[in-house]
Amino acid sequence: MQSLFPDHIDLTAKVMDFQLQRQNIVSANLANINTPGYKARTLEFEKDLQAALGLSEAGAVARTHPGHFPLAFSADQTDASVARSLTPRVVQGVDNVDLDAEMAAMAKNNLLYNTLATVMQKNFSGMKQLIADGGK
Amino acid sequence: MDFMTAIDVGASALKAERTHLNVISMNLANAKTTRTVDGGPYRRKEVIFKETEVQSPFSKAMNSALDQEVKGVRVESVQNDRRPLKQVYEPGHPDADEEGYVSYPDINVVEEMTNMLQAMRAYEANVSTITTSKSMYSKALEIGR
Repeated sequence: MQSLFPDHIDLTAKVMDFQLQRQNIVSANLANINTPGYKARTLEFEKDLQAALGLSEAGAVARTHPGHFPLAFSADQTDASVARSLTPRVVQGVDNVDLDAEMAAMAKNNLLYNTLATVMQKNFSGMKQLIADGGK
Repeated sequence: MDFMTAIDVGASALKAERTHLNVISMNLANAKTTRTVDGGPYRRKEVIFKETEVQSPFSKAMNSALDQEVKGVRVESVQNDRRPLKQVYEPGHPDADEEGYVSYPDINVVEEMTNMLQAMRAYEANVSTITTSKSMYSKALEIGR
């Protein structure tokens, strides 16, 4: 069914949620940078998300028959998973979080988040313009 | 999962690192202290960090397993370093023993300075997580404009 909002709004919102969660995980890692024995966490969602969208490295799954299940993405059923490194990395007793890697992950995450927020904003502003000017 | 969690976690780390810096400056200030309230020379202090929950037990129980992974940090205790005291031959010193040796705390200025740099970098890293969270927050507020 055609709806007022484009299909990818749900997807974009979900990815933004995951990126916020990743930001939380990164700040937890950086907060514990001097904690001995702390195990750094990472948040993985890209693969699960691609599976949910029916995409894989081999390409998209084709729907070749109308009787097949539609490959609808459901934002509610996709979740991220937190991976915890198995052993704390210990150098000189108190060095278990890789500062550079965490800062890079944070910068990347922040840029992607801002990009998606802009995409979303443009979507809505386009819609607003359509509503305002469409009846003229 | 909200923006305040990231800021709370960052704030807990800022507080812990500030305590770390205070302890480092205490060590440097007392590098030559031979008299303390407890008697004997000053002992080098070391801070012990511990990962901790940033949320109240109730809100934690209401959260998903994913959110419960997010931990802050706090200073659990400030403990005496166990390394032995440094014996320096200064027979004229009022605190020298019968053989003329004075016990000083074994504080290495270079070691303290590197610890200080480490604490400062950790502090800066956490300031930058808070700044990033804030910029993400204001970007999300722009969506509806």
